[in-house]
Amino acid sequence: MVGRDLETHKKDPRYIVKLKTNTMKRHAYLLATVALIAASAFTFIQSQDWKIAEGYSVKFDGGDPSGEFTGLKGTIQFDEKKLATSRFDVTIDVTTINTGNGMKNTHAKGAGWFDVEKYPTIAFTSSAIAKTASGYEAKGTLEMHGVKKEIILPFTFTGNTFSANLEVNRMDFNLDDGKHPKMMPSIKVSIVVPVTK
Amino acid sequence: MTKTIFTQSLVAGILAAIAANIYNQIYFFATQIDYSNIINVWSLIALNLFVSLVAGILYWLLQTFFRIKGAIIFNFVYSVGSFACLIIPLAITLPLSTPYPELFPGLTVPMVFFPVIAWMTIDPLFKKYKN
Repeated sequence: MVGRDLETHKKDPRYIVKLKTNTMKRHAYLLATVALIAASAFTFIQSQDWKIAEGYSVKFDGGDPSGEFTGLKGTIQFDEKKLATSRFDVTIDVTTINTGNGMKNTHAKGAGWFDVEKYPTIAFTSSAIAKTASGYEAKGTLEMHGVKKEIILPFTFTGNTFSANLEVNRMDFNLDDGKHPKMMPSIKVSIVVPVTK
Repeated sequence: MTKTIFTQSLVAGILAAIAANIYNQIYFFATQIDYSNIINVWSLIALNLFVSLVAGILYWLLQTFFRIKGAIIFNFVYSVGSFACLIIPLAITLPLSTPYPELFPGLTVPMVFFPVIAWMTIDPLFKKYKN
């Protein structure tokens, strides 16, 4: 194509459309490559997501009453090799409390204790997870009965099951109706949560 | 304990057990909640027979000590005792695997009165043999 014909060809609208399409395709490939790299980088730093499986238990033992909560949900990101990005964000539905006695259940949900109308959930959000000699420790905020408190939750993770035991002082969360002076202030909590990927 | 009182105790226990089992079935069909790990046919039979036989022994003792007034005292004690026993199904702590513990008293509270109702229902039939 001689010089004059080339100039004429460049002004041809079909040539311009083709040129623009090619340029857009190049940009699209570039964007896709960048997105892919970014996504893979994100996947690299993110911990494993776990789903809470059936058969979990959240039991408490305060002498009398003792019982369990059956409504646990939330997100669990945990990788033994990536503790820095591991995170727990779980809630317990307080209305699912079961002491084995209907009257005690109603009493526990009432204004004198958990006051589920105002505070329907117990929440734990971790801020840091660290390895210990016997397992792991999740440092985080426990919110119960409208009170937030920093706690350390020691736990183990074996066979796709999280297990934790801790003691919670109910007085720290204003859980006291003043009518049960013999009731222990410290409540033992035992948590077993099987998880699936 | 005389043969008549023993027979009355036995009949009252059997009637109460039948009533309790019928009510247990009705309650299950109404609520679809299975409490069979705590309450079942045999436990209801055993419990009602036991309570009725204990009541028979009490009747015999009261009649022995108080003669005619014994029956009046017995009726009063048995009724009040049954009423006081309401606390048992209300206060009992069920295994955590038991669903809906809130509905358990609805099953068991009426049953508390079945032995005394059975006793008093058949009492006129045995009265002439006891006097």
